[in-house]
Amino acid sequence: MEASEVEFLAEQEPVTIIPNFSLDRIYLIGGDLGPFNPGLPVQVPLWLAINLKQRQKCRLIPPEWMDVEKLEQIREQERNEATFTPMPSPYYMEFTKLLLNYAADNIPKADEIRTLVKDTWDTRIAKLRLSADSFVRQQEAHARLDNLTLMEINTTGPFLTQALDHMYKLRTNLQPGGSAQSQDF
Amino acid sequence: MFLTDFRKEFYEVVVNQRVLLLVAADVDALCTCKILQALFHCDHVQYTLVPVSGWQELETAFLEHKDQFQYFVLINCGANIDLLDVLQSEEDAIFFVCDTHRPINLVNVYNETQIKLLVKQDDDLEIPAYDDVFREEEEEEEDSGHESDGSEPSGKRRRFEEDIMERTMKRRQRREWEARRQEILFDYEQYEYHGTSSAMVMFDLAWLMSKDLNDMLWWSIIGLTDQWVQDKITQMKYVTDVGTLQRHVSRHNHRNGDEENSLSIDCMRIAFEYDLCLALYQHWSLYESLCNTSYTSASFKLWSVQGQKKLQEFLADMGLPLKQVKQKFNSMDISLKENLREMIEESANKFGMKDLRVQTFSIHFGFKHKFLASDMVHAVAALMENTEKDDSGTDNFIKALDSLSRSNLDKLHQGLELAKKQLCAIQQTVASCICTNLVINQGPFLYCYLMEGTPDVKLFSKPMSLRLLSKYLLRSFICSTKNKRCRLLPMVMAAPMDLEQGTVIMVGIPPHTESSDKKNFFGRAFEKAAENTNSHILYNHFETSSKYAALFLCVFICLCVLCRCGEPVNLTTLPLQR
Repeated sequence: MEASEVEFLAEQEPVTIIPNFSLDRIYLIGGDLGPFNPGLPVQVPLWLAINLKQRQKCRLIPPEWMDVEKLEQIREQERNEATFTPMPSPYYMEFTKLLLNYAADNIPKADEIRTLVKDTWDTRIAKLRLSADSFVRQQEAHARLDNLTLMEINTTGPFLTQALDHMYKLRTNLQPGGSAQSQDF
Repeated sequence: MFLTDFRKEFYEVVVNQRVLLLVAADVDALCTCKILQALFHCDHVQYTLVPVSGWQELETAFLEHKDQFQYFVLINCGANIDLLDVLQSEEDAIFFVCDTHRPINLVNVYNETQIKLLVKQDDDLEIPAYDDVFREEEEEEEDSGHESDGSEPSGKRRRFEEDIMERTMKRRQRREWEARRQEILFDYEQYEYHGTSSAMVMFDLAWLMSKDLNDMLWWSIIGLTDQWVQDKITQMKYVTDVGTLQRHVSRHNHRNGDEENSLSIDCMRIAFEYDLCLALYQHWSLYESLCNTSYTSASFKLWSVQGQKKLQEFLADMGLPLKQVKQKFNSMDISLKENLREMIEESANKFGMKDLRVQTFSIHFGFKHKFLASDMVHAVAALMENTEKDDSGTDNFIKALDSLSRSNLDKLHQGLELAKKQLCAIQQTVASCICTNLVINQGPFLYCYLMEGTPDVKLFSKPMSLRLLSKYLLRSFICSTKNKRCRLLPMVMAAPMDLEQGTVIMVGIPPHTESSDKKNFFGRAFEKAAENTNSHILYNHFETSSKYAALFLCVFICLCVLCRCGEPVNLTTLPLQR
């Protein structure tokens, strides 16, 4: 899966907005939306929220976890523990990225939030690399990782499988029979 | 007719339609177009954008598209001609005209159905009353019909005489009215000038609908600054409009100082500044900027050796090391930059430059991007009149339009480089014109003709650049000449436009004085001169005061005519100053 596809999935997540227009409930295949009343918060999927925001039709309310204190806590916890800690949202990275790109003016202390989320992400990715390294070194057959998000799996997945592939090739080529075979070509 | 409620009468009319945007090629028009595009984007309005740089292009663009559209929006073009007559439009076509050119054509003003003017009415428009200018034509015909009726039954001699009396009275009245009409029209159309920037008018519309964004505010600031850089409005008007915009700026940017609720660094902030009016100095070196700004170079007389010395003196007075001054402004010592503005202003006052600082605005976003409004104007104008590659005009237009949005910084930087080149070229041309005495005092006006083969002459084949050049030249000339009378004279400047066709572009600018009201009478003067000499003048560029003369030599004849017989717009008799 590509990063853009993961982002696409993340856009289904609900987010609260305060619209400045009124519209009746709309019925879509994915579910009903609305009704929209000026000044009244309403939950919509992220894709719609961003579209409305770009057209100056709403104000975005950042999700609860997107708060400097909470994120600092999460970051500390992530740094202190050896295993992965649960994240506030399965799409925390994509969410932050989209919100900060399109609605930075609706999010208080946007710069700090960006740094905190990036720190957390970096810590987690470092852990992931370390565990992948030890997994390969100890030549384990299987491993179990909890609390990973889809985006994280996708950043490391292709790399790890390819690396294992290469190593497998190298190892099989070390066998005397294998090397002789490759000389034939 | 003038619209009073732009939202109801303009925006809500076009919002469900496809519209054709016809945009003139100047910076203010570009900014207006940007604001309108942003509004249309919010409401999913379909539009087609066609850049037009002159009357001919306007006509062809209209012909091409008139079948598909009912609503046309004209930006910075069309107000000062009889649109319906020029375009030969259908009955159902409706034109919304947002234009800074004044005087507005009276037919446009009094057309109730097809022409809607998006113009701020608090500018002193001084529109003559309807009855003074227009009169029902039928009256006359009815009169003549009555005449034939009345003459048939003979015998009633008395009645006949009365009839004659009445008719002569009417005729006399009509003649008087005609004479008065001519006078009123002459007074009204004599001067060309500019009204409130279109970008500001459009921003007001956005504000009215509470869809105004910081970006739109920035564009309207650029639109206003363009008028100031091009010297289209008086200092008074500029200061008043800056005041208006400043209120909007503080409304939009009040969150900057707020610790609790601070904005992300990537968001755009607009700040009101009292900054130096040195061209592009933040993207150049201070030295080069001082050399290439018309105000400083004219005051120092930089084209002479003495002037160069004076500049060195000035720098020494400020206590700025040459090494620092000649390197990029960004890399200058921070300690020097801290109170640079005050330092420069103080020294400038000693050297007799009182107006080196001016109220303007700047934007910041990210950590390193900072632009002054005048920087943007120079860059965008340079992009639009880029002559380097043989691109078509449309390409340059689109590039200039793109450079206004924050996501296209590379284009903006390209524009800044071009603007630097242009300013250097202007400065060199001014210096060579003054050193070789190319500016000729013709009596009622000054005149300068750039010969073919002058370096950079190609740059000046575009109206905006030539205008800028002639302003700079006039300013420098006034500083260099000893003749005091010259200070009150207007200037005509000509440059070859197209060598193959042998055309010349001419610009006339009003005299450069502090109290000048920036009204330009050359439009009518050129017209008259062309009439007298039968030369072929193309009314292009939307401003009659800058136009092409098709026959090469006729320019000189025009000028001679202007000097000698100088008909109604006799330059010597015109009140050059008010």
